[in-house]
Amino acid sequence: MAKECEITTTINGKRYQRRVEARRLLVDFLRDELGLTGTHIGCDTGHCGACTVMLNGVTVKSCLLFAVQANNATIKTIEGVADEGQLHPLQVAFLEQNALQCGYCTPGMILSSMFLLQRNANPNEEEIKRSIEGNLCRCTGYLNIVKAVKAASKASKKQT
Amino acid sequence: MLDLLHSNEEAKVLAGGQSLTSLMKLRVASPQALVDINGLEELSYIREESGMIGIGALVRHDQLARDNLIRKHMPLLSDAAGVIADQQVRNRGTMGGSLAHADPAADLPTAFTAVNATVITASVNGSRSIEMGDFFRDYFTTSLGHDEIIKQVRVMIPTSKYGNAYQKLSKGHNDFAIVAVAVQLIVDKDQVCNSANVVLGGVAPTPVHARETEKLLKGSRLDNDVIERSAQKASEGLKPPSDIRASAEYRLKMARRLTQRTVTHSVQRIQGGA
Repeated sequence: MAKECEITTTINGKRYQRRVEARRLLVDFLRDELGLTGTHIGCDTGHCGACTVMLNGVTVKSCLLFAVQANNATIKTIEGVADEGQLHPLQVAFLEQNALQCGYCTPGMILSSMFLLQRNANPNEEEIKRSIEGNLCRCTGYLNIVKAVKAASKASKKQT
Repeated sequence: MLDLLHSNEEAKVLAGGQSLTSLMKLRVASPQALVDINGLEELSYIREESGMIGIGALVRHDQLARDNLIRKHMPLLSDAAGVIADQQVRNRGTMGGSLAHADPAADLPTAFTAVNATVITASVNGSRSIEMGDFFRDYFTTSLGHDEIIKQVRVMIPTSKYGNAYQKLSKGHNDFAIVAVAVQLIVDKDQVCNSANVVLGGVAPTPVHARETEKLLKGSRLDNDVIERSAQKASEGLKPPSDIRASAEYRLKMARRLTQRTVTHSVQRIQGGA
């Protein structure tokens, strides 16, 4: 019973109109239909956070949403984080602080940290740790990730 | 929308989907149809209405955790919502969904039970109200009909001085509860407790009142001695499960300890502490 629905959604500033199967997960839609493979599938059970995207300004796990639920929504994925080739301060900080090893969790980590910094421009270590509770890194790189988020918050402050 | 639910017995309501979608992936749930209620934005309010707080079913956990009205009048709801899963889940999961899902180790069922909340439902047959004490029936089972949704939850703001708090013990900051305790204490002008609700989560198929603890607290001045003695009674009559998170014995011990802490926290809040 492959019922299809037509959806319109704005992803990284670009409007997409597609027919999708009602049962299609948002993460599969992003990756397989739109080729936005920066959003990763780790566990596919809602635990690891590798599939984190921003939906209407808040982070969600795109493996726990259906694509049809993104109808009329505005989405940001990791591909939309850099601004015209200019890396986001978080991306720069992740590079400089060696906050990734295999990089699989990184898109989710960056989006979760972005959400934190939107709300709290100067988070302390505890707040940073809590903000990435929903993102697992299996290379045990949390120390450097926390350092990177701190560095990014400082860098953003200098800019403004 | 209510017609859709009514005419399709195999349909499930999809709110935040943070539990249901997972269960579908595991093939634990295989609904024939989903009725997505996320478009009902009018159910996303938190407001004060004649001595009560009304909370719309689609309020997300993050909203409940951070709302000023909730923090001021019902801080235990903020405590509970703030420790649900992780930020992404709190951004999407809804209050109504969590109550309707009725996981015995979830945070909101225990917290809402301790403040004698009332669930207001909607169906094609109209609306009804269900007291929290009658709402949870068993593991993952509520008294909602298949064609009935939660529209609102109402919580009375006590008219005399009160304090409430929620604490849980879990592996890591935000896993499901090994034991959780939700407390609301109301005191008269002489600081004597005239209403005590002490509710435990994660130890039975539904949230349960620690009746012996409540009996001891009621009618007493809430000093450390009374709190300690009453907390020792918190595990009476409980037969908690042993599972991957903890043994039954550990749960009983922690139920007493956590009750002591949460009652103490509630007393601090009566006195104006955070």
